[in-house]
Parts: sequence; C-alpha cells; structure tokens
Amino acid sequence: MFDYPIFEMPVIGQRMLMAINAIIHVYVSHGGAVGGSVVLALLAIWAHKRGDLAAYKMTFKVLMVFFIISTSVGALTGIGMWIHANILSPNAIGGLIRVFFWKWFIEWIVFNFEVVLLLLWFMTWKKNELTPEGRAKSNRLGIYYAIASWLTMVIITAILAFMLTPNFEGQPWVDPEVFPGNVDYNNALFNPTWGPSLAFRTFSSIAFAASLAIMWTWIIGTFSTNPEDKDAKPRMIKFLATIMVVTVPLGVVFGYWYLSVIPDSALSMIPTAMMTREFEDKFDLMYTIVIGVGIVVLLTTIIAYFSPKRMPYVAASAMVIAFLVFWGYEERVREFIRKPYIIYNYMYSNGIRPTDVPYLNKVGVLKHATFIEDEKKIINEEQSNIVEVGHSIYLIECRICHTDNGINGLKSLTKGWSKEAIAARLNNLPGGGTPYMPPFVGTQEEKQALAAYIHSLNVQGELK
Amino acid sequence: MNWKLPFDIPLVTPTMGIPIEFYDALGIIVFVVHISFIYVLIGASTASVIYNIFGAVTGNKTYDKLAYKMTNPTTISENMGALWGVAPLLVISVLYTGFFYTAIIKVSPHILHIVYGNIFAFLLSYAYKFSWHKLQDSKGFHIAIGVVAVLTFYTLPPVFMSMTNLYLQPETFAYVQTIWDIMLTPLTGFRLLNFFLTAFAFSGVFMIWYGMRLQKEGEKDVGELAVNQGKKWFLFATPVNVAILPLILFVFSPRIAEGLMGSIFIVLPFLASLVLFALYLYLLKRWNQNCFSSKELLSAITLMLVAVILMATTRHGIRVVSFEEPLALQAKATESFMQASLAEYKKYKENLKNAPQKDLSDPAVLADEKGCMGCHAVDMLLVGPSFQDVANKYKKPEEFVRSLLEGSEGKWGEIPMPVQALSEEEAHKLATWVLSHKKD
Repeated sequence: MFDYPIFEMPVIGQRMLMAINAIIHVYVSHGGAVGGSVVLALLAIWAHKRGDLAAYKMTFKVLMVFFIISTSVGALTGIGMWIHANILSPNAIGGLIRVFFWKWFIEWIVFNFEVVLLLLWFMTWKKNELTPEGRAKSNRLGIYYAIASWLTMVIITAILAFMLTPNFEGQPWVDPEVFPGNVDYNNALFNPTWGPSLAFRTFSSIAFAASLAIMWTWIIGTFSTNPEDKDAKPRMIKFLATIMVVTVPLGVVFGYWYLSVIPDSALSMIPTAMMTREFEDKFDLMYTIVIGVGIVVLLTTIIAYFSPKRMPYVAASAMVIAFLVFWGYEERVREFIRKPYIIYNYMYSNGIRPTDVPYLNKVGVLKHATFIEDEKKIINEEQSNIVEVGHSIYLIECRICHTDNGINGLKSLTKGWSKEAIAARLNNLPGGGTPYMPPFVGTQEEKQALAAYIHSLNVQGELK
Repeated sequence: MNWKLPFDIPLVTPTMGIPIEFYDALGIIVFVVHISFIYVLIGASTASVIYNIFGAVTGNKTYDKLAYKMTNPTTISENMGALWGVAPLLVISVLYTGFFYTAIIKVSPHILHIVYGNIFAFLLSYAYKFSWHKLQDSKGFHIAIGVVAVLTFYTLPPVFMSMTNLYLQPETFAYVQTIWDIMLTPLTGFRLLNFFLTAFAFSGVFMIWYGMRLQKEGEKDVGELAVNQGKKWFLFATPVNVAILPLILFVFSPRIAEGLMGSIFIVLPFLASLVLFALYLYLLKRWNQNCFSSKELLSAITLMLVAVILMATTRHGIRVVSFEEPLALQAKATESFMQASLAEYKKYKENLKNAPQKDLSDPAVLADEKGCMGCHAVDMLLVGPSFQDVANKYKKPEEFVRSLLEGSEGKWGEIPMPVQALSEEEAHKLATWVLSHKKD
C-alpha cells in the first residue's frame, strides 16, 4: 500500500517469502498440533484401555517428536505469519486486526490453554506413566490439550474464511463509504465458508496427523533397540490406520461441501491456482493431482490397516508426502482464488481499497506515498526520471505478486512487448486473460511511467 | 518537525466502549508477564551452560545436577515467553497500528530473525536438554550445543529492541533506513544493557525461589547451591543497573525527553532504581544464608516484580508522551484523505449510474468490454497481432473463432492467447468484426 514504507524481497518475491512460512506453518499446525493432539490423545487412551503398556510407552516417543516440532517450528511460524503479513500488506493485516481483535485475543487465551496443557502432558508423562491412575490422569490432560488445540483452529479459520467470503451482499460487514468504518463484528465472524472450511480442516488434519504418526511409529519402532517397541509398532500402526479409515472419507465429504459454498468467481480461478497461466484451461491435470493424492492415501491406508507389520517405509512416507502435496496445494489454491482481492470486495491484493481508486486515479497513487522521495514520484520536465517514477509505482502496485526479474518476473512476462503494448495491457486490467489482476490505479502519466519502467527491464544498457 | 507517517486504518478501533486506560493496563500486565518469562529464559539457559561447564571442569556432580535442573525453566519460559509476547503486540498493533507496522517494515528483513533465529535456538535448546544423558561422556560437544543455543537467544533482543525503539519514536521514520541505523544508537545500547542486567538479576531471584523449592522436595545440595548462586547473580548484576536507570532521560530524542520531564512518568525510573537498591541491600545482608523463609522469599520476589512493573510502566509513559503529537497528526491526515477519497468515490458511482447503457450489440463496444483492446489494436502489433493482420490471415470467422473460446498457442509467436469468457454467439460476432478490418 502506498502510505507505508516498502520492503522489496529480491528474486523470490513477497509472495514466496510469505508462502514458505505459511506452508511450514500449515504442515506443523495441522499435522503436528491440531491433528496431532487428537491422534496422540486417542493413541494414548487406546493403549491404556487395552492395557498395552508397550504401546503406551512408545506413544510418548512419538509425542516427543510432535512436541519438539509443534512448540518450536509450529508456534514460531504462527507468529511469523503475522510478521510476514505485516511486511507484505500492513493495511490488510491492520484492517483484519481492527475487525478481529477480540477474536484474536480469545484465540491467544486458548493458545495459553493449549501450550500449558501440552507442557503439562509432556513433562509429567514419565511420572504419571507408572500407575494406572497416573495414566488415566495423563490421558485427561491429553484430551484437554486436544480440545484446546482444536479451538485455536476454530477461530483462525473464521478469519481466513472472512478474507475469502466476507458478508458483503445484503447486510455488509462494513459500509466502505463511511469513515471511520463501523464494523458489524458478528456479521464478519459468521461468514458463509467458516463452518464448511472448519469441518474440512478438522478431519483432514486428523488424517494428516495420523499419517505422520504412522511414519514416526514406523521409524521409532524399527530403529529402537527395545524389542517391546518393535512389537508394539504394528499394533499402533493398525490403530492409526483405523483413524484414517474414519477421517479421510469425512475430510472428502466436508471438502466437497466447502467447495460448494465458494462463490463462482473464486472457483473459476482454481485451474490457474493449481498451476500457472499455461494450465488454466487444463482441468485434467488438476484432477490428475487430486486423484493421484487420493490413490496414494487409499493404497497406503489399506497397507497400513491390513498389513501393519510388513508395511514398507516407502508406503509410510508416501502417505505423508501425499498429504504434504495436498496441504501445500490446498493453501496455494485458497490464497489464489481470493484474487484480485486480499479481503474480498474490500481491498485489492496490493492493499488498495476499491473505494480509493477514483480519487487515486485523479490525484495519482504517488501523491500520498509518504515514504518515497519526491524525485522518485514526480516526473520532471525532461522526463529523465520517468523510469524511477515507474519503479516507485511498481513497488506499490505490482511488487506484492511480481518481482522485476525473479519469480513471476515482469521482465520475462513482458519480453518482446512494446511500450504501447504494455500501456494497453495496463489500460485493460483485470482484462480478458488475467481476471486475477487488480486494475491499474493512478493517473495517465503514472501509467506511462509504469509502462516505461516495465519496458526498461528488457532494454539493453548502452556504453557511454 | 518533518513527520513521515502512514494513514490510520479507516475502521473503528474495537475498544467496545471500554476506556483506553483499560487497554493501557492490559498492555502493561501482559508485557510484565512476557518479559518475566524472557528474563528467566535468558538467565536459566545461561546458568545451565555455565554450571554445566563448572561441573565438567571441577568434577562436582552438584553443579551438573543444577545445570540439568535449569533446563526445565528454560523449556517452560521459552514456550510461555514466546506466547505472552503476542498479547502486548496485539494490543499495540490495534491501538498504534501505523507506528508498529511501519517500524516492522523498516527493520525488514532482519526482523524475521525473531522467527527463524528463534526456531533455531528452540531446537538447539531442546537438543541440549534431551541429549543430556546420552552425551554425558562427550561434555565438550554437549556444552557446545548449549553455548550456541544461548548465544542465539542473545541475538534476539537486539533485533526486537531495534524495532520497538523505532516505533516508540515515530520521528525516526523520516530518516531511519535500515535496522542498523536504530540498533547502533545509544538508546538501543542503553536498553540492551538494562535488559540483560535485569534478566540476570531477575533470574537470580528466580533461582533463590527454585532452590528453596528443590530443598523442600528433598534435594538439599542442589537447592542450597541454587539459592547461593541466585543471590550472586542478583548482586553482581544490580549495581550497574541501579546506576544507569536514571540516565533514561539522555537516550531518547529531545522531544520525548522534554515530554517525560513534564510528566509524572519521570519519577518511575528513579523509583525502579531505588527498589532495586533496596533489594540489593536486603540480599547482601543475607550473603551467608542459603535458606530463605517464605516471608523473606516473598519480600524478595515482590521487590523484584515491583521494579519490573515500574520499568514497564516507564515504557508505557514513553509511549504516552511520544505518541500524542504523531497520533493527532495521523488522525488529521487520515480524515482529510478519507473525506476526499470518499467524495470522489460517490461522484464516480453517481456518474456510473447516469452513464448511458453500453450497446453491447456493437462489436467494437463488446471488444472493449471484453478486454480485447488490452492486447490488440486495429492497426498495430501490441501484445498480440493487430486486427488487420488477423483479418489478412483468415478468410472466414470459423477459422479462428475457437482461438477466442479455447485459447491458442504458437500461431503468432511465443505469447499464447488465453481462454476468453465469451459465449459462442459473442465469439462469432467478434470474429466477424475482426475480419472486417482486412487491408490490401
């Protein structure tokens, strides 16, 4: 957005910088914390109920892996989401916090329960393990931890769902023509995709966590020097596979429900979201990926269920890899189909609100760019700084998704285009081929400057 | 003064009608809890490594035991410290959105060290704790893991404090370009010194409490050692801290120093200094005492917490005097921007309503509406070929109407024609129109 200072991430771009953090966070929070808490609590209860002490003891070893990864990588990439969002789009995250402050505060209180219960469960396990009463007590901690963990997902899912489907029709969550905007907080919270996306996330997280637990049980059981661990391994894998047999179909059903409530304009972006522009008409490839992931999960679950003892490591890891592919794509698609908005109908992906567009088209997007020096925002009479001014506009309007010559680089995207061609393209955004791009915002002079800058990326320098 | 500030977020601040003092108090309380955990994290992780080295060098098993004991508060305080760090930032970011977010961007990408450096330190501290018994015979390696973990923890406060020092002084936005411009200032140096000294002193008091708990649980040797060492941590760290606290007036910008002088908050750092000095005398008197009664323990902990609360409230006082002017400036600028912007938007909507209906049966209007002119022109090559060139290549619309509906590639060079959202009928109309531009 124009009124904040600008940090430009070279080569990989802003989106990729955030995506790295986001994907790691989704893997660990869904597989490790939310799904993991449920799966490990179930595993401990199951082992305790059967009087299977060997499996109970080994559950702790699996828990230790989950504990280490969730509390370090999971928790800190969660805070990282906020910092990355801040760097990427301060206006969007600033707006979201104005709307969801109290929900986020409640989320933080729930986090306290989650972390304290996990610390208690993990750090008192060894002491509690010795007696049946102790184990029962420990298992209760596990259940409470799982509940707290799931509640953290409930709230954050509401915010993600809001960004895609804020209630804008009929009774809007805010009237964007009023200043300061009076937010209808409940309307923002109870948005159409919250329920379906929460149900979908819950069950597919548990399935994902079960697959991770199978892989770690396999590794720990195989390499353990304790024969009891080796013995407990197939029993545990079979139980974990049972969890998958139940949760995978539920995840599919609720995933379909989720898909059915997403608005058509967003749905139409899915093929592009899955791949790149070149694949936007190739629905087949998307189905190939979905079906491929499905088959891998199905086959490996069958192997784990019917032949837990002889399950090869390839199957255990293929199962996890299928889920990694699935969640990675799910997140990319969810982020992509919101385009050209970051908060649907309220703010474009570059942080500019549609309501500001007519004014900025009149006075120029650089007029209020506080942190850009004058010589980089006002074109001088000789037009000698036109490329610098264009670069300033690029930083404000394009940098969020594009780099100059790295990932999604403007240089390769506009190779061979004349300056007029670039200007004509800017004139017609979102345009016929690129519905996911926000419109150009600014005066005609600024448009020419941006075209000059983009054109300059492919112009060879000269020796003077 | 030349201010550079972003606009405020044009949505109401969700205070729910509760007076702002509530949020101030909330901010101070959650910050005190956060910083207490961080103090213990810094102190306990350092202590664990130091006593591990002592134990290895002297062969004294009690040191080794104490070192291992200290990994428990490290684990708890790193998790709780990170968690409670979120709450103060949440309060700040909703009340002072523009300042906080500007500061974060200004210290990017270095601020990401708070995420990735922290993960690295967490994982090393877990490795240090959970490999304790396995690496009993390779102490050198084990200690090395601990040292790297602690040193990594030490790199976090300079980064984070640079950000807070920036946002506390919004006048710096106009000239600070990178993190080093703010990190290498007397202010950051002063606050880091104060932070580490307080961390060691606080951890000293914590160790006295922890030692008494261990003694009660029957671990007399380790407990007494913890109490004995805890006192020393406090007594060594505190004199310099007592001396430097009143210097706070000289490290902030003149505008803030002036504001502080005129406010009640100026007494707080002096009070904090006095309280620390009182605790110093209290513990010095008990130099030879390795067992504290609950009453003595309570007094020591209370004095320490009061000192921390006074320092945290000083920090809040700086916010109050520093933000008054920029907040007012920001509110005014935001108001005039939003009024101008919304007036223009209403005009735009009015024009849209009064604009004549577009005649989409006219193919030229349809072409414009569908975005064709973004890539094509009648008589010149843009992103795609001119309509004249297309008209010269094809004789009948049927020959290229599929290219509009399904996209095409390779017919006119590298750039593909994307799929267009058109009906069959629209596509035919456009194709026929394009052919009408034939040129001899």
